[in-house]
Amino acid sequence: MAAAGTSSSSSSDHLSRTAHHLISPVLPRPVPSIRFGPSPPRLQATRDLELPFSLSLSLSRPRVRLPPRDTARSVRGGAKPGGRGKRMASEDGCGGGNPPGDAAAAPPVWNTAPAAGAGCGDLEEDLRFQCCVCLELLYKPVVIACGHMSCFWCVHNAMHIIRESHCAVCRQPYKHFPSICQLLHHLLIKLEPVEYKRREKEVLEDEKRVDTYSPQIIEFLNSKSNDCEIDGENRPEESNSRPPQEVTSDGNTINGHPKKVKLEDVSCALCKELLYQPAVLNCGHVYCMSCLSSLDDGALKCQVCGGLHPGDFPNVCLDLDHFIEDYFPAEYDLRREKIKLLKGECNQGSSSGTSCTKEGRGRPTNKENRAHQDDDLSDVHIGVGCDSCGMYPIRGKRYKCKDCTELIGFDLCEECYNTKSKLPGRFNQHHTPDHRMELDHSALFNRLMRLQGIHEEGPGEIIIEGAFVSPDAVVHIIADDHEEIEDNGEDDHLL
Amino acid sequence: MALMMGGDPGVSAFPEGDNIFSWVGTIAGSAATAYEGTSYRLSLAFPGEYPYKPPKVRFETPCFHPNVDAHGNICLDILQDKWSSAYDVRTILLSIQSLLGEPNNDSPLNTQAAALWPNQDEFRKMVEKLYKPTA
Repeated sequence: MAAAGTSSSSSSDHLSRTAHHLISPVLPRPVPSIRFGPSPPRLQATRDLELPFSLSLSLSRPRVRLPPRDTARSVRGGAKPGGRGKRMASEDGCGGGNPPGDAAAAPPVWNTAPAAGAGCGDLEEDLRFQCCVCLELLYKPVVIACGHMSCFWCVHNAMHIIRESHCAVCRQPYKHFPSICQLLHHLLIKLEPVEYKRREKEVLEDEKRVDTYSPQIIEFLNSKSNDCEIDGENRPEESNSRPPQEVTSDGNTINGHPKKVKLEDVSCALCKELLYQPAVLNCGHVYCMSCLSSLDDGALKCQVCGGLHPGDFPNVCLDLDHFIEDYFPAEYDLRREKIKLLKGECNQGSSSGTSCTKEGRGRPTNKENRAHQDDDLSDVHIGVGCDSCGMYPIRGKRYKCKDCTELIGFDLCEECYNTKSKLPGRFNQHHTPDHRMELDHSALFNRLMRLQGIHEEGPGEIIIEGAFVSPDAVVHIIADDHEEIEDNGEDDHLL
Repeated sequence: MALMMGGDPGVSAFPEGDNIFSWVGTIAGSAATAYEGTSYRLSLAFPGEYPYKPPKVRFETPCFHPNVDAHGNICLDILQDKWSSAYDVRTILLSIQSLLGEPNNDSPLNTQAAALWPNQDEFRKMVEKLYKPTA
């Protein structure tokens, strides 16, 4: 079975590669991927650069959405809704390194790469790891409990600063900003090294501009060993989801043709076997669905980092699942059969267990919370998230670090504060456990200031925000009252 | 430019002039609806926060429809609180296209149109009467 599978896939691989070379110069992106409208606003920088539009389509820097709302805002100053334009303009100023050539060359590169993988070849495959928001290759992917993934910033920027957020794809509500999925991160580095590097550069430039950074994941481009794992362990937050791995050289072959990704790269954190129906926890660690449900006894606790998974029982990350199925067809089949067997043995045990937890635990809490959120905004720390569990915005008590100097600050929700979370922060803060934390008790004052801070950016924005959330009269009135106040306060710390 | 048109029948969109934040879209009325044979022009204005905030979409061609007011403003949830950052111009236009054939008569902007909707023949007449195609 394995042999047949591989020979057919290798020939289709060859074909698809050929096809791709024929196609890619003409079509920088496969047609289905073209986001009709999206490109427009994102392209302002391009316009400023006076690049031809056709080129700008593939130019990705301007598309990168910016980091934390508040920080982005403070950079933009009092710019109105069109404030992004201002930012873009300044981007042009310092971002002289926006070489059209480089950008124009890049997209085809990553489009071709997956074709060089195993059995994946048609145009659709190329979109597998495309972010549905920025339409670029996923960068520092984050997987939401519903199983959909986006870039770190694409998720964070789309999160609602006052209420629960909804998945951009399926609208499933979520309240916790998940940590970066390092398994996917490293997978993408291997699959699309060139494009991923380009994305890294471009995102880093944006991050510099707002002086707020996504977590640094120690790259192992330079290492052929497990160095990265060691670094990962220094920061439990980012502790590696991947089992020990080696960088595969291109010469490595599995089943007769080169694979950039090895089996160990996509194995379960618990059973250490090839992931079958992978699900990603809030901490970013990846498990087989069957392993997760065996773990689940009341609270879902990550076996790698020990973090409790908040919110709904995670769904299978289908994009990753399909990738693994295509990439390791034989091994995947084996896993499928093995798990079927296991399930057969304890028939009711595992399968009904999963659905039970899904309905019994996830859904109701979810509804409860939604109801709770809708009626009361008084304990919401707008635009501030917990750096440990990712709750965004924080509801209830908020503890704030007095010693972190980063613009974004370091905050914990009550629960994480009480459990003495030792995580370093979600935005690359240099928080350490000996930092002093204080209860942020001037909640009302802070909220006013924050609202006014938001308001400063442009009245349009807050009104949209209000409308988004609910027609919350209080929000509007407060915003109006404080229109004149200049003080932006130091309370604009986001997450 | 041809890239803008992915081949979905009945919808198209292009940036308006030099301003990439402002687009013009066209949707054709679907067959077997009161809007069959019509073609409407819309304007789309993208905010700086796009795609985290929805664009403002308006009918430029007068449109007789329960959820479209006299100024062309559209009442559609995905353009308001149900916006998702994964939407793009194509999905927006397709949504509006389907809204034409399936209005939400519970929250009408145009009450006359909503009242007339059950009578599809009369409705069709009004659509034709008020339809002024743009050149």
